[in-house]
Amino acid sequence: MTHEFYLWMSYGVSAVVVAVEIVGLAMRRRSALRGVEEERDLEAQD
Amino acid sequence: MSGFAWAFARDLRLAWRHPGETLMVVAFFVLVASLFPLGVGAEPQTLRRIGSGVIWVCALLAAFLSLSSLFASDYADGSLEQMALSPHPMAGWATGKIVAHWTATGLPLTILSPLLAMQYGLDAATLGTLAFGLVLGTPLLSLLGAACSALTLGARGGGVLLALLALPLFVPVLIFGAGAADAQASGLSPSPHLSLLAAGLIVGSMALPPAVCAALRIALD
Amino acid sequence: MNWFYFSSPSTFYRFAGRLAPWFFALAALLTAAGLYMGLVVAPTDAQQGEVYRVIFIHVPAAWMSMFLYFVMACYAGLSLTFNTRLSAMMARAIAPTGAMFTFMALWTGAFWGRPTWGTYWAWDARMVSELVLFFLYVGFIALANAFEDPRRGDRAASLLALIGVVNLPIIYFSVQWWNTLHQGSSVKFTGSTMHIAMLQGMLLMAFASWMYAIGATLTRVRSVILERERRTRWVREL
Repeated sequence: MTHEFYLWMSYGVSAVVVAVEIVGLAMRRRSALRGVEEERDLEAQD
Repeated sequence: MSGFAWAFARDLRLAWRHPGETLMVVAFFVLVASLFPLGVGAEPQTLRRIGSGVIWVCALLAAFLSLSSLFASDYADGSLEQMALSPHPMAGWATGKIVAHWTATGLPLTILSPLLAMQYGLDAATLGTLAFGLVLGTPLLSLLGAACSALTLGARGGGVLLALLALPLFVPVLIFGAGAADAQASGLSPSPHLSLLAAGLIVGSMALPPAVCAALRIALD
Repeated sequence: MNWFYFSSPSTFYRFAGRLAPWFFALAALLTAAGLYMGLVVAPTDAQQGEVYRVIFIHVPAAWMSMFLYFVMACYAGLSLTFNTRLSAMMARAIAPTGAMFTFMALWTGAFWGRPTWGTYWAWDARMVSELVLFFLYVGFIALANAFEDPRRGDRAASLLALIGVVNLPIIYFSVQWWNTLHQGSSVKFTGSTMHIAMLQGMLLMAFASWMYAIGATLTRVRSVILERERRTRWVREL
């Protein structure tokens, strides 16, 4: 295992993890907005 | 009669009338500790090396097993609310329950540990350090476990959530307890580990009952 | 200034929305600068060769993992003391980012440990307490979401966060108290024993992580606010 392997595994996985978090943030925002939409529709039905 | 004494006597009486809980904890402890030599191989040297660690882990798991029932049954039938409404300070009777819990679970484990230690071929000094460590450590486990148990009253996810919260908090106790016995076995002094365990117990017995009360109040709101 | 002005979810929602992009932009800039410093400018280490460059991720991640837990615990304390909803929402918003940094610290630590000291993992005090920190974050998130009533989840998780704070000094002082794998700290307030470019790289990455964490938390808390305040008029009028 060369030193490059360890550097790549460290930096690479860190980058992946940050990307996952950012995607997670976007997905959560989208689902929250969808929830607000549904609530608005439910209220409009009343 | 103070809240502490009342709760202590009540819970012990309940445990005495329904010994299933205590017996299960003890049986689990003995069973799992006996499984290890079967799995790992009964070579005396190996057993002597892993003995203290295995016995400590088994004690931890056995103590954990009994945690969910500490407050749950009283919470379910409303007695917890009644106790909270009583004029007795919550810290008193909550601590009484915790001490009763330890008497019914941690104490039997500690008393049985020398027998298991002999099964692993640990020498007398190590055996003593192991037992003494358990005397210090199991009450602390009961205190920490009580806080986690109170926090998760009525939560979804049940036992797994409790494990997720309690086991990481148990880790330092395990490290110092098993570390003390291992130190003794290697000929070093176990007193640093035991002192830290004792310090943890002292701090825990002062700081954790208020935390348990806060958690119970949150649950009862 | 009325400190409680921003404790209203509706005002904070707008405020956070305006600020978050700036923090992300700052984080990106600082990351670029930090990586340049760490990967290009900083020289090869005499003993460890190139692999020491992991510290530009590992150390900032470890610092952030502890710092974010501390901030989360402060919000937890605020939420229990003042019973404000927003403080609890902020604590919930911080937790996943904190968990991420803790994982990063543990992972990069393992991949630094293997080539340097021969092992991915050792049961030394700092590593174990950092692992416990990871489980504290996960436990916080699990507990907060384990109840029908989100306010009950808020309060229970906040109490857990406060109980777990005792782990932070253990992580921090463990390298002084025990003589095991981790070296003593090379970065103190009085100066440092590292090469200047290495130190600068680390500090830049630390600031970058901090700005990123703020940006991520502000973004996440906006979603938490929308989820929790769905039924209010101001949300429906968004």
